Amino acid sequence: MQSEAANELYDMLAPELRAELARFEQLRIVPAGTHLITCGVPPEHLVIVNAGTVEITLDCRSRNTASLGYSGAGKVFGMRALVSGELPEIDVICLESCSITTVPRDVFLSLLKNNPQAYFAVAKVLSSDLQIADRILRGNTRRCGVGPRPRPAKTV
Amino acid sequence: MAMAYNFHIIEDCLKCTVREQRLFCDLSREALIRLQNIKATSVYPKGAMLCLEGQPPRGVFILCTGKAKLSTTSSEGKSMILRIAEPGEVLGLTAAVSGTPYEATVETLEPSQANFIAQTDFVHFLREHPDVGLRVAKQLTHNCKCAYDEVRSLGLSNSVPEKLAKLILRWAENPLDLPVKKPNETPLRVTLTQEEIAQFIGTSRETVSRVLANFRKKGWVRVKGATWTILNRRALENLVTT
Repeated sequence: MQSEAANELYDMLAPELRAELARFEQLRIVPAGTHLITCGVPPEHLVIVNAGTVEITLDCRSRNTASLGYSGAGKVFGMRALVSGELPEIDVICLESCSITTVPRDVFLSLLKNNPQAYFAVAKVLSSDLQIADRILRGNTRRCGVGPRPRPAKTV
Repeated sequence: MAMAYNFHIIEDCLKCTVREQRLFCDLSREALIRLQNIKATSVYPKGAMLCLEGQPPRGVFILCTGKAKLSTTSSEGKSMILRIAEPGEVLGLTAAVSGTPYEATVETLEPSQANFIAQTDFVHFLREHPDVGLRVAKQLTHNCKCAYDEVRSLGLSNSVPEKLAKLILRWAENPLDLPVKKPNETPLRVTLTQEEIAQFIGTSRETVSRVLANFRKKGWVRVKGATWTILNRRALENLVTT
């Protein structure tokens, strides 16, 4: 099974590595409200969004939550926590029914260990995450949260 | 060993005695040999611009000695400091990896040494050496954590005193090794001007000046040139948590 849409990770991986990951992928449809990533909980999978809209929020320790923005098809979540071993600082919640592909953590880490050239793809994904946070800092330093919430795409 | 300003220039990465303590530089011998071949060492005075926000990426800078501020322009046109880079950090990494313009302007805060690596060389270096990939991932993870901390700090701190207290406490994580009058005092070296501190916490210079004067009046901090001393850490911490 190969993930449905192009995504920021697979676009940078060699075909043979994509094929290797594809053997372990699981394609799922999850309902609105599903936490794809939960702050403070180590992710068991790398999550690739194929379709649907998700909101990324930053836990602000007992205060209100900061919205980092909305994302959708092609975005990969859980990379930072998997690679660094640190707990996630963000929540990723489906705003509508979403199609996702999951890759088990151990499979992904094993692929990285055996194919370190894949770190370039990892760096791309992490750079994209960093750009999201930097855009928030640049765009809104006081109120937190970004532009208008997007109109939900067609329900999966 | 050559000297510039008040520090020794580290020309040979293989002989660098502090690389194991650095976020990026603790690489395998093979990777260090390659790094030695592709980097260009330069020494910069205080206030030198290494790269400009919006500029196409030319490459990355590995900060060997000194500090640099990463700043950007907010949507309201105000200059704001994203973070202060420490020795061992790779600057311009996101732009070089993703091929997008530099996200921030990088300016040295003190005389500094940086090793420049052209973008194409760096991407090859990253692809060819597994430990470089791992270090880059660690650096990006660190940068991401800093950015999240900034979002939390800037977006959700209620008051300027709270933001300033947070900033001082963050600096206190790397205190100066100076003799103190009392055991609970923490000396810091602050290289930022009040204008730059204002850009860091999203306020005006006048407000920073007023709040800092208040901290001094209350006996929480002592300011003597670039050396600040935290005299009452608990008071600053209370300000943050309330």
